[in-house]
Amino acid sequence: MSLDNTNILEMHNISKAFPGVQALKDVSFQLKPGTVHALMGENGAGKSTLMKCLFGIYKKDDGEINLNGEIANFKSSRDALESGVSMIHQELNVVPDQSVMENIWLGREHTLRIGPFHLVNHKRMASETGKLMEQLEMEIEPRGRMGSISISHQQACEIAKAVSYNASVVVMDEPTSSLSEKEVNHLFKIIRRLRSQNVAVIYISHKMSEIFQIADEISVMRDGEMVATAPAKELDEDKLINLMVGRDMSQRFPTVEAIPGKVEMQVKNLTSADENSFKDVSFDLRRGEILGIGGLVGAQRTELVESIFGLRPVVEGSVTIEGNDIGIQTVKDAIASGMGLITEDRRGAGIFPLLNITENTSMPSLDRLTNKAGLIDHKTLLKQSREMNEKFKTKTPTMETPIKSLSGGNQQKVIVARWMMTLPEILIMDEPTRGIDVGAKYEIYCIMADLAKAGKSIIMVSSEMPELIGMSHRIMVLCAGRKTGILKGEERTQENIMRLAAMFGHDDFKEEDAS
Amino acid sequence: MKQLAKPSIGGFISKYTGYVTFVVMVIVLGILTRGGSLRLLSWQNLAIAESVRAFGALGVGMIIITRGIDLSLGQVIGLSACVSASLAQTPDYVSALYPGLDLPAIVPVIAGIGVGVLFGLFNGFLVAYGKLPPFIATLGSMTIAAGLQLIYTHASTVGSLQNEYKKIAQGFLGPVPNMVIYVAIAVLFLWVLLNHTKQGKRIYAIGGNPTAARVSGIAVKFETMKVYLMAGTLYGFAGVLLSSRLGLANALTGDMMELDAIAAATVGGVSHSGGVGKIGGIIIGVLTLGLINFGMTYLGVDSYYQLLVKGAIIISAVYLDMRRAA
Repeated sequence: MSLDNTNILEMHNISKAFPGVQALKDVSFQLKPGTVHALMGENGAGKSTLMKCLFGIYKKDDGEINLNGEIANFKSSRDALESGVSMIHQELNVVPDQSVMENIWLGREHTLRIGPFHLVNHKRMASETGKLMEQLEMEIEPRGRMGSISISHQQACEIAKAVSYNASVVVMDEPTSSLSEKEVNHLFKIIRRLRSQNVAVIYISHKMSEIFQIADEISVMRDGEMVATAPAKELDEDKLINLMVGRDMSQRFPTVEAIPGKVEMQVKNLTSADENSFKDVSFDLRRGEILGIGGLVGAQRTELVESIFGLRPVVEGSVTIEGNDIGIQTVKDAIASGMGLITEDRRGAGIFPLLNITENTSMPSLDRLTNKAGLIDHKTLLKQSREMNEKFKTKTPTMETPIKSLSGGNQQKVIVARWMMTLPEILIMDEPTRGIDVGAKYEIYCIMADLAKAGKSIIMVSSEMPELIGMSHRIMVLCAGRKTGILKGEERTQENIMRLAAMFGHDDFKEEDAS
Repeated sequence: MKQLAKPSIGGFISKYTGYVTFVVMVIVLGILTRGGSLRLLSWQNLAIAESVRAFGALGVGMIIITRGIDLSLGQVIGLSACVSASLAQTPDYVSALYPGLDLPAIVPVIAGIGVGVLFGLFNGFLVAYGKLPPFIATLGSMTIAAGLQLIYTHASTVGSLQNEYKKIAQGFLGPVPNMVIYVAIAVLFLWVLLNHTKQGKRIYAIGGNPTAARVSGIAVKFETMKVYLMAGTLYGFAGVLLSSRLGLANALTGDMMELDAIAAATVGGVSHSGGVGKIGGIIIGVLTLGLINFGMTYLGVDSYYQLLVKGAIIISAVYLDMRRAA
């Protein structure tokens, strides 16, 4: 660790507001060279917003950023990169069909001048890449195709790219979310190596155990504010959770009053057609029950619920609703047997961005609203769409407004309205509060509690442990595509969820990611 | 929750840009030609000339709404025209493809539509189930149709059609040309389909977000296939009307019509990003381009220069559309 105590990066009193949300309130942050500084906080606490302000992706409303004592106002990630501030995103930005070295030197290829022509100097690029790899003690073939190496190696290449820009600050956003334990250890080796070269690392993560292994300092954010910064050795997990949550859990979630009744749906030995996905999963779901599904990234939770909904093929097992094997083949079947699915990826697989609220709400109900002549009953359609959106308090100027102009929380309410209009008995919600602000989250939770009280069954896939604990009657945990347990009552703790979620190393299906 | 958007002139114009532009053009042209272009005969000529293109534009317009494209339409219309014409030649015509053949007019009509249906199925199958990019799939079928057109006609003109057959397109109902009636029927049918049936809503859904459409229980492949099939049927009928109107068909019939049709749909506000487009807009697009042709010819503008103007109009229409969408 460096003895030099002047900060390399200082962010002073940063504020940022979005319509309806104060995303950052007067946030200050100091980073010392040669340290790993963990930035923690729940989803929506403002970590990404702070980083986006640093990189100029968002324009800060107020505050000042100093890099090496000078004011830095980056206009883009590229601009930041050229000043030695680099970011490794959770979703890697690689060009899979190009070689490792082409990826690293993308946009600034070494060239060879022959007369008036600048030709790409592949030989020099390969040797420079080789040097980088040596410096970071990585064994990656510079000429190999990026798409054919594992995710962890791709990530390592991104780090090498940052180093090639002589980065003095490297931000890593949830870098271990798709890595196995072995790969995490390798990543930590690289990070320590960077630290020894006096690089400062901002490490964003939720994972407590990792933080205490790697971080020198920890800063915690909550609801857009910086609540604490302290050396890692002065903190422990309990203190950290308290800082992150900061308030009584009961206030964040409404009371789920529903008492589960008789069994509504039974899933038996369900096995995906994709051998790297889930195997032999069985569970049942009761009326008026909220069943949480937890697990790490790669646990195949989304794959499981999408298969139940007919979006992905299964090779074995059965799904019975009220005792009838429904043999779901297509989404249409699933809808007809009373299921609805709110997808994880709202923008990609949920909304029809240019269509209006009415059209977005009514799409899966069109069969029911078409008369014998084959024409849509517009009057009923408008009335029901309006009623559903009023029920869930969607805030929209008119029913004719395109859905893309609503906020994330309101879009999610339209999607809930969409599925409730199909009159389902079972609602599957995959990450129902992802990317929506705290206030709207609470409203979504209330809707869930009300639906359960009205006797509907809900399956909720979530990566947020407080949400799983606060909203579910029972929590099923998956690890590497297998069910590792069901937690109920007092067993529903973060520790138990984590233990079940990390039961097996998930090296098994790293191959899938790499392919 | 209910809060009405204020109606404004600016809003009205931006919502109905196509219609407003068209009306302005009619007025300007009327003034320039001192009323000459406003006479009934002018309108009849314009309508007849644009009818076939309207069928093409309606078909490809729906395909563009699903994020597709169809390059084959000109050649499919041409092939349909040749096949239908070959079955409608006068029996005593010595150079007829099938000398002595004397069929009721309904047979060539059905055969022509059949050609369109087959190509619609073929294109739809390649795009929806074969997952070929629509541009490439229809580039291939366009080339095939062009080849078949040459082979079938032995590269010569299929002429001397029976009067009964020619009347299909050349006739009038009062002052209204038959062609206009066919277009009106197609427009009405498609308008109801797109706005008042679940198939129509699904076409917009598929174009707007195919993944979300699938999650909503829409059989995306099957619905996409249906759109290409419908478009093919329209092309088939357009081919019949074309040979009936011209009284002949040859290997050049329908050539380049795909570009006019795509241009018209685009000028009419159909977005190539998918999910956006109206039947009324497509018709306005056809009429706008038609009026430009017609007006400039009327004013004596050299036809070479007409192309420059047409190109500029297509580019500016899309440019304005992109600005508005952003």
